[in-house]
Amino acid sequence: MLAIIASATLLGVDGRRVSVEVHVSSGLPCFHIVGLPDTACREAGDRVRAALTTTGIPWPQRRITVNLAPSGVRKNGSGLDLALAVGVLVAHDLLPASAVAGTGFLGELGLDGSIRRIPGMVPLVDALEADTVVVPAGCGSEAALVGRHRVREVASLAQLLAALRGEAPWPDPPGDEQTILPPLDPDLADVRGQAVARLALEVAAAGGHHLLLAGPPGAGKTMLARRLPGLLPDLGRREALEATRVHSAAGLALPPGGLVRRPPLRAPHHGASTVSLIGGGTTWMRPGEISLATRGVLFLDELAEFARPVLDALRQPLEEGVVRVCRARAAVCYPAHFLLVGAMNPCPCGQGGPPGACRCSEAGRVRYARRLSGPLLDRFDLRLDVARPDVTQLLSGPPGESTATVAARVATARAVATARGVSCNAQLPSWSLDEVAALSPPAAALLESGLRAGNLSARGLQRVRRVARTLADLGGRDGPLGEGDVCLALQLRAEPEHLGAVA
Amino acid sequence: MKATGTDLPTAAWVVALSGLDRMGPARLGALLGRWEPEEAWRQVLGGAVHRDRRVVAEARRLDATLSARWRRDAAGIDVAARWAAHVAAGVGVLARGQTGFPAPLADDLEPPPVVFHQGSLSTLDRPRVAVVGTRRCTHAGRATARQLGRDLSSAGVCVVSGLARGIDGEAHSGALEAAVRGGAAPAAVVGTGLDVIYPSANTELWNRVAALGTVLSEYPLGTRPQAWRFPARNRIIAALADLVVVVESHAQGGSLHTVDAALERGRPVMAVPGPVRSPASVGTNELLVAGSGVVRDADDVLLALGLDSGAARRGWGDSCGSGSEHLDAPVGSGTFGATVLEALGWEPATVEEVAGRIDAPLVEVAVALSRMERDGLLARHGSWLERRDLPP
Repeated sequence: MLAIIASATLLGVDGRRVSVEVHVSSGLPCFHIVGLPDTACREAGDRVRAALTTTGIPWPQRRITVNLAPSGVRKNGSGLDLALAVGVLVAHDLLPASAVAGTGFLGELGLDGSIRRIPGMVPLVDALEADTVVVPAGCGSEAALVGRHRVREVASLAQLLAALRGEAPWPDPPGDEQTILPPLDPDLADVRGQAVARLALEVAAAGGHHLLLAGPPGAGKTMLARRLPGLLPDLGRREALEATRVHSAAGLALPPGGLVRRPPLRAPHHGASTVSLIGGGTTWMRPGEISLATRGVLFLDELAEFARPVLDALRQPLEEGVVRVCRARAAVCYPAHFLLVGAMNPCPCGQGGPPGACRCSEAGRVRYARRLSGPLLDRFDLRLDVARPDVTQLLSGPPGESTATVAARVATARAVATARGVSCNAQLPSWSLDEVAALSPPAAALLESGLRAGNLSARGLQRVRRVARTLADLGGRDGPLGEGDVCLALQLRAEPEHLGAVA
Repeated sequence: MKATGTDLPTAAWVVALSGLDRMGPARLGALLGRWEPEEAWRQVLGGAVHRDRRVVAEARRLDATLSARWRRDAAGIDVAARWAAHVAAGVGVLARGQTGFPAPLADDLEPPPVVFHQGSLSTLDRPRVAVVGTRRCTHAGRATARQLGRDLSSAGVCVVSGLARGIDGEAHSGALEAAVRGGAAPAAVVGTGLDVIYPSANTELWNRVAALGTVLSEYPLGTRPQAWRFPARNRIIAALADLVVVVESHAQGGSLHTVDAALERGRPVMAVPGPVRSPASVGTNELLVAGSGVVRDADDVLLALGLDSGAARRGWGDSCGSGSEHLDAPVGSGTFGATVLEALGWEPATVEEVAGRIDAPLVEVAVALSRMERDGLLARHGSWLERRDLPP
C-alpha cells in the first residue's frame, strides 16, 4: 500500500532529488500532499486524477497521502506530476513495484493523460541517482546530456503504462524534429571601416576584456556588439554543460542536439529589473540574464539608461564569475562568467565625442556620466568612442575581414593565454604582469610619461598591460611588449572624456 | 548723492529695486524713468505699479501678479540693511547719472540703471575689445581665445568678456597672463551677483580678474544665475566694447546675442574663421559670410581699431610661412611623424581617420601620434586628437 518513486525539483540551476511517497489506506476517500509543495505542486493531485480517469483507470476511492521527501525542501513546479501518478498506480497495485524500481520520473501531466515538457531537464536528470529516467517526449536529447542514465521518452500516460507493464516496447525516441536551423551569427565582414572598433572586438574576444562602446546613434555600436559572440571559440564540454544547465533551468529552447556549444548572446532591454538580471524572484529561483549569458556575451545596449542599482549589482558577479542570490527560503549560486559589452551615447544629445559637437549643457553631461558608477566603469578594460563610419568607406570601401578569419586569430591567442594558465588575459593576476607582460624600453617610456602627466592611473596601467599582452598574442609576438602594442592598447582605452575621471 | 530723509544714498533704493524677482533692465528702467528711486520703492510697496500707464508701456509684461509679488517681497526687505551689506562687502555701486558711472553704459540704448563692480573702473579707460564665444569650444578655439587675450592685453587693449566656461574664460586667462607683465587688465561682465561666482570652476579666474582689472554686474549681491540674465549681460559686454570678436560660436550660440547687441549699437563685429565642418565654428563662419571682419590674430583686431598702422604687420607671405615653420619644426620634415601630423590637420580626428587618410597601418600611426601627444603637440579628447599650438 506504499510506493516510493524517484523524481526531482529545481532550485536555481540545480536539481534536488525528491522521493514521492504515496500511501493508500482505507478510510474516507481523500487526497493530501504534504512536504512543502508550492501551488503548482499542490494542484498536481487534480491533474493526476483527471489524467488517470481519461486514460481509463478508475481513481481509487481510498485515503491517499502523498509525502514529498525530504519534507524540508521547498518543491515547486509541475515536474513531479508524473512521479505522483506512477506512485498512485503502484500503491494501488495497478503496477508492480518491481517495474518502477531504479527508475526516475519527470514530467507534467495534461488532463488528457499527455506528458508535457518542463524546464530544467538537464539539472533535474543530473540530480537523479536512478539507472533509468522517464522524460516527456522531445526532452530525450536534453536528458541524455548528463550521460549517466538510460533515457526513455514517453508522450502519454497510456504509453507509459503499457511499457511498464511489458505489454508494449518503450516507444522509439521521436525522429529528429524538423529543427529550424538557428539563424547564423552575423558576420564581421558586414562592418565597413571602423578599424579601431573591429580591433577592439577582436581584443575583447581574445583577451576576455569587457568592452564599452560610446558613440552617437547610428555609429554601429549594436551592429558591432552582435558580432562579438561569433568571434569566440566553441565552448568546451564543461563550459557547454554549464551553459546548458542554466538555459535548461530557465526553460529556454536548447539548440538541436541539446548542448549549448556556441557562446550565447543575451541582450536584455534597459528596463530590466535587478532580479531579472541577477536571478532569483520566484520560488524556483530562475537564473537571471547574466547567468544565461554565462560563457558568452552579455550585451547591455543603452547602458546609461539602466537603473543604477541594477548596474551596480553586476559588480560582484563581474569580479567573481558567480552570483550568489540569497532569499529568506533559499540561497543559490549561479554561474556568471560572461563578457560584458556595454553601449551608450556619449551624452544626452548623442552627438558628443568630437570636441565642440555636443549640444548638451555641462550639467547635463555631468548628470549623464554620473549614471555609471566609477567602480563599474573600472571593470571595462576597453572603452571606445565609435564614430559614424565614413560615407565613402560605407559605400565603396572593401569589406572587412570575415568572422572566420578573425576567430582563427582569437583561437590562437586564447591558446597562448591557456598556456600561461589563465583562460584569457583579462584574468592575468597583477603579480604576474612583470613576467608575462614585461615592457620594452620605448613602451615603458611612453607609459611613464602617461603616468607622470596624470593621464594614467596605477590600475589603468595594469589594464593597458593586459590589453597590450592580448594585442601581442593576436599578432603572434612574444617577449616584452613593444611600443606599438602599448600605443594601441592606450588607444583602445581612450578615456571617453565625457565619462569623467582617469581610471 | 542726494541725501534723503533717511540719509541713505539714492543708490540704496536702486539696489533694493534691482534685487526684486524678475527685475530686468527694462522693468527697472521703466520704474526709474517714471519716479525717483525712493519714490519708485514706495510705489512698489504700494503694489500699484502695474496701474501706471507710463510704466506698463515701457516695462515688459508687468501685470498685477508680478506687482503683487513685488509688494510682498519688498515688504520683507530692509533697504538700509541691504545697502549696508553692499558697503560692507566692498562692492562699488554706481547708479546711472552718478559721477564715475561708465560712460559707454550711460549713453546706451538700454542702459543698466545701476552697476556693481569689484576692482577699479579705470580698467575701462582704455580701448576695449570683447572676446566672446561658445562654452562648448574646441581646443583650437581655446588656444585662439587665449592667444588673442594675451596679445590684445599686451597691446594695451582692455579685454572684455563674460567669465563663462570655454572661450570667455580663456580670453580672460590670456589677458591676465599679459596683464601681470604690464599689459592692460581685463574687464568681466557677469550675469550674477558679485558674490555668486558662476560657474564655480572659474572662482580663481574671477578673483584674479577682480584683483587686476574689474568685474561688473548690473545685479545686486546674492543674485543667482538664471538663464534670462545672461543675454542681458551680453548687451552690456557689447555696449562696453569698441569692437566685438567672436572666436567660436555654434549655429545658435549665446555669443550671437552679443553680436546682435553689438550691431544694434553700431559696434564692429569680427570673427575668427574655423574649419567648415566644425560645429563650434558654424556661427562664426556665418558671420564671416555675412560680412564681418576676419580675425586671424590680434594684429587684425588692432588694425581694425586703428591702433596699429599696419607697418608692424607682417607681410602676407611671411605670416603664412612663419606660422607653419614654427609648427612643423618639432617633428622634422620628411619624417613619418610629419606626414601623420599633416594628415591630422587642424581639425579633431581619430587615429583611425588619420590612418585612413594616409593609408598607413593603424599601429604605426598610433605610435607616431602617441609620441607627439607626449611631446605636447597634440591634445586628446577621448578618442579624438587635436593639434595644438606650442606655447611661444
